[in-house]
Amino acid sequence: MRRTRRLLSVAVLAVMASVIATPAAVQADEPATVPQHVGKILAGTCLDCHSGDAPEAGVRLDRDRIDWGDPAQVDLWRRVVEVIEDRRMPPPDAEPATQADREAIVAFLDPSILAHTSFGGTPPRRLNKAEYETTIRKLLKLPSFHLPVGFPPDTERHGFDNLAEGLVVSPAHLEAYAAVARDVADELFPPPRPAAKPARWEAGPHDLALSFSAATIHGDALRLASRSVDIMRSCTWPSRIEMKDSGTYAITVEASQFLSPEGHRFEGPMKLEVYARPVSATDRSKVTAFRLLHTIEVTSEAPAATTFEGELYEGDTVLFRWVNAEMTHEFEELADQMEAWFRDDPRLLAAWQQAVFPSGNPGRPETARLRGRNGWDIVSKHWADPALDLREATMDTKTSKKLLEIWRSMASTTALADALCYFYHERGPALEIHRVAIEGPSKTIESPRDKARAAARRGIVGNRKDGQTDLDVARGMLASFLPQAFRRPVSDATVESFLAIATRHWDEGHSFDEGMHLVLRSILVSPRFLYRCIEPADATGNLDQFDLATRLSYFLTQAPPDAALVDLATRNRLGESWVLRREAARLMPKKPTDPLIRSFVGQWLDTKLLPGIMPDPKFNFDDEATALARQETETFFTEILTKNLPMQTFIDPDFTFSSIAFMQRNYGFTPPAAKEAKQPLSQADLRKFQRLAIDRGGRYGGLLGQAAILMATANGVDTQPVIRGAWVLENILGMPSPPPPKNVPALTPDTQGAKTPRDLLAAHTQESSCAICHARIDPVGFALENYDPVGRWRAKWPGSNAPIDASGTLPDGTVVKNPVEFKAWVVANIDLFSSCVAEKLLTYATGRVPNYAEQREIEKLVRANRESGKGFQDLVLDLIDSRTFRAR
Amino acid sequence: MLSGLHRSRWMDSRVGRRQFLRAGGTVIALPALEAFGSPAAPATGPRNFVAVGTYLGWHQNAFFPKQAGRDYELSPTLAPLADLRDRFTVFSGLDHRAPNGHNAWNNFLCGMNPGSWSLDQMIADSIGQQTRYPSIELTAGSGEGPQAMSFTKQGVGLPQIDRPSVLYKRLFASEADRARTEYLLASGESSLDMVLDDAQRLQRGLPSRDRAKLDEYFESIRAVEKRMERQLAALDEPAATTTYKLPDYDPITPNLQIEAEGILYDLSALAIESGQTRVITMFLHGLGQVFSLDGRQLVAGYHGLSHHGNDPVMIRDLVAIETAHMHCLAGFLKQLQDKKTPEGRTLLDDTIILVGTGMGDASRHSNANLPTLVAGGGLKHGSHVAVDPKQAGAPLLGDLYVTLMQRLGIETDRFSNASKNMNEVLL
Repeated sequence: MRRTRRLLSVAVLAVMASVIATPAAVQADEPATVPQHVGKILAGTCLDCHSGDAPEAGVRLDRDRIDWGDPAQVDLWRRVVEVIEDRRMPPPDAEPATQADREAIVAFLDPSILAHTSFGGTPPRRLNKAEYETTIRKLLKLPSFHLPVGFPPDTERHGFDNLAEGLVVSPAHLEAYAAVARDVADELFPPPRPAAKPARWEAGPHDLALSFSAATIHGDALRLASRSVDIMRSCTWPSRIEMKDSGTYAITVEASQFLSPEGHRFEGPMKLEVYARPVSATDRSKVTAFRLLHTIEVTSEAPAATTFEGELYEGDTVLFRWVNAEMTHEFEELADQMEAWFRDDPRLLAAWQQAVFPSGNPGRPETARLRGRNGWDIVSKHWADPALDLREATMDTKTSKKLLEIWRSMASTTALADALCYFYHERGPALEIHRVAIEGPSKTIESPRDKARAAARRGIVGNRKDGQTDLDVARGMLASFLPQAFRRPVSDATVESFLAIATRHWDEGHSFDEGMHLVLRSILVSPRFLYRCIEPADATGNLDQFDLATRLSYFLTQAPPDAALVDLATRNRLGESWVLRREAARLMPKKPTDPLIRSFVGQWLDTKLLPGIMPDPKFNFDDEATALARQETETFFTEILTKNLPMQTFIDPDFTFSSIAFMQRNYGFTPPAAKEAKQPLSQADLRKFQRLAIDRGGRYGGLLGQAAILMATANGVDTQPVIRGAWVLENILGMPSPPPPKNVPALTPDTQGAKTPRDLLAAHTQESSCAICHARIDPVGFALENYDPVGRWRAKWPGSNAPIDASGTLPDGTVVKNPVEFKAWVVANIDLFSSCVAEKLLTYATGRVPNYAEQREIEKLVRANRESGKGFQDLVLDLIDSRTFRAR
Repeated sequence: MLSGLHRSRWMDSRVGRRQFLRAGGTVIALPALEAFGSPAAPATGPRNFVAVGTYLGWHQNAFFPKQAGRDYELSPTLAPLADLRDRFTVFSGLDHRAPNGHNAWNNFLCGMNPGSWSLDQMIADSIGQQTRYPSIELTAGSGEGPQAMSFTKQGVGLPQIDRPSVLYKRLFASEADRARTEYLLASGESSLDMVLDDAQRLQRGLPSRDRAKLDEYFESIRAVEKRMERQLAALDEPAATTTYKLPDYDPITPNLQIEAEGILYDLSALAIESGQTRVITMFLHGLGQVFSLDGRQLVAGYHGLSHHGNDPVMIRDLVAIETAHMHCLAGFLKQLQDKKTPEGRTLLDDTIILVGTGMGDASRHSNANLPTLVAGGGLKHGSHVAVDPKQAGAPLLGDLYVTLMQRLGIETDRFSNASKNMNEVLL
């Protein structure tokens, strides 16, 4: 169903509200006569095209009477109201309708449409992937459960992955559910395992992993150089050893110091940390993700063996890190070290200059070839070259400054620092590992996973009391587990039918655990578990108490209802307005990483697309910047929600969340806090993600000026006003456009620069069929053209280099010249935005797109929220307490 | 539930039909290979398909021969395939006109739209259904989590097996493993009736529109049930066994990629030989692992080398890794050449092997001009087919895929954005 937001004046809505208040005025199901004054307006503005046997777009309006009992008629006139209200009709090349005429048509149609549209109508809605995953975690008390790779993804409808319409069930889904059910049952009721067999493993240097520049092999030893927390830059591990059983093992490591006169000095013992690492962990892990088993002090240049006992779990191997190495990959610290080193050794400085700027031009660094040992080979060749050119090798030259700038950037980690490792590998100080041996287990232990399994089992089955039979225990478990799994009370008959699965299995000679394994697998493929809100509606068309608890809980937490909600539902209290609002406030997200924020904001504002957008290198926008851009928007949303700020804040706030460094670099904007700082800010201060005050009414701040949204509405390379315009209409103003006709070619930017995007789009306004939509889309898109594909300000169009013309006429005739004026217009018409967010929230919450009657309810709530000066959280609570939310 | 007694009696009656083949020191016992023979497959054409893709591409200058046609000089990367020269064709100038960048890598088998129905899955959906595994997805040197190369018709990226021991278990399951699988299938099927009864009670109380929505559930359950029955029936077939020895560890970390690759190829050859699958894909990942090849430690990690910046030393070592991949491939092709189908044809003639990548030039993240090689399948081989993509009507990589699919007995004349074929080159 299409949704529209109204640009009609508030006055008309007020008139309509009074009509709604007197339902007696509507004659239900009686064909209604079109009053003369409305008939005249229709004849004058619509019937030229929309009449006769072949009306335009198949829409025929030449009728004297409307049969409101016919759903098709209701739908037809609903569409009429929508296109008239948001001024898509009459089309631009026809005689325009007066405001009074529009209002008259709507005032006649609206009450009848409303009277014939009932609230609710969400079909059975299966749990989507994220909901299913959290549900398994909570229900089975397996907090670290993850869906397997290849689990079928959800289909998106109307921008969300949790709408009933899109949540189809296919054989692939059921197979995936059955597979998860089996895995989960295996966790709780594991099949017996064979006894552990003690063994001995040994690894020499050639059995140890070499990753990036972390290590090299010299003779019979492997050398480590860096103390980076990124294991692939600092660590090594025997990758052909993997424990089959969790237990206590004797671990022997033979290690030595490597020092040489050409290398730096090293005082004191070298500290070698030994961790337990799952073999299957990614090499991109940080060392902090692993368990430290032991720290060995390596004190001599002769190999010495140390043996210690350590607990290794099934799937583990050991991992080594030299924690007090001189070499670091923290680029700021490293850059300081390099600066000092360059001061001491101009030849080294010159060698790096030659390596990084082979053309001699400090504007053209070439670092790709410097990765790894190849880089160090190049540097050291220059370093040893008697004819090395030292003319630039003082700290104050442009080349030196540029070189240090590169060392200070993150890019240095991959290229320059990895090359530098080989200085240490070749000349020391380095830590050498000669041999690793693991023997055991001397005793088997329960791994944390085993312990979690046992706890989960106890949580579900409970402890067997004296004298309880298998049947008693199973019945007791089902009586408490089934209501949790199905999120509502279950009848004794249901308990007995699931119990019968177990008893029959036992009768066939299987054990208690096997019976429970099978029952659990059966419960987890039942539609009562997989779907939510499938019970019929109550007499008023509303969800019953338990389904209301379920809807509320999945909406706010993406998880099944907790005990408090279930208790209120059981006592029939949850439906009371104040109770429902209190519970909603309790479950409201508190921080940006909460599921509702991540999921809803990610889908509503498309920030979930960010990881897939690869900004052109010219924008200097790396993964860290992308993550920060997303964090800006999600934290901003969280602040407005949790602090209950007015809706205008979304568009024109007096604060933003970001880091000063990112604001300066990406937005070219120094926040007042940085300007007013008495002392120069440290790197840590500059990079700290924080709430920063900004002035209202500026270019930056608010959703429309945030990098995440400007990125999500571009493609990483260039901007397209049509795409941004359509996106803002759909997601900010709630005036979605119909999909473009299939035969229209995409707008290819003119790289020759002969035409500006405005020239290229001029055709849109020349043809009437295009103009209906593009007269609305394009001006909104142009209003944001000053923001490039990553949200930086620009004054000129790339390519043509012509000054950007961001002006345009908005749907209500207002002319804006730039983004600031556009934002001011959105603030002045904030109900458009508020209704848009409200509809998106209810779509996400109820799993259906609000219909005509529900949209009207939303508008009322939005208006009341603004008029009473309330905030966003108040609005969300009103939406939860609405008829729309409660209707099944 | 099927008892153990039932199965062993069945096996006794058929044991005489087993064939024992000996190749390369490995013995595998085949369960009535012809039973797996797909009636749909043409008697003359190849019946199996293997696709191999490298994440970081193949360095173009070292991969593409300098000359086109039959008399080309083998390029450095292709050197390990010298003995098999008349068993493969190398292609240059082909691609899918797909977007650039790592994110679009999976255009390799998907065509212009990364993430859409992949070539191997189209083939598996058509000819893989009669075998025990419609397709098998493998990866060597992963350790990196999900990275799909194959996508179902519904766009689901398929998980890949990285542990040789897991693949081995699937192919040559022990009696205990088979008993467990059978137990799970049979017990699951029996309890399903109870779940369905309960679900039908639920459905009856619902309005008609909601009932229709729940029908999705019932239809799916019925499809799954049928599949379980087929799997149960297949368990009754005697199991393939082998004398192949796996190492006692799984080489799954990136630095053991080449080792893993060799083992996975060995097992792939056994999988095809024992008729357990017709479609295999192998994904060769690339991260920062630093290889030692022929006793020499390379100058940078695999990924670092791929961003070589045209440095000759970096390129030399990148090509050394790619040549190592080709050595593994040559070993695989030779195994297929040594093995025979019951009809006496070599497995190499019975198998089309597509080797390529979704990345044309990793140094620039360009996905144009994808290095591609096709071996086996009884096709007309021995040439370097150099396509000039700028020429009007130049074939796309998808056109080559159309020919491969047709050759495998699939009636189709399009793939992704391609609607021609390259029959004149290969047939």
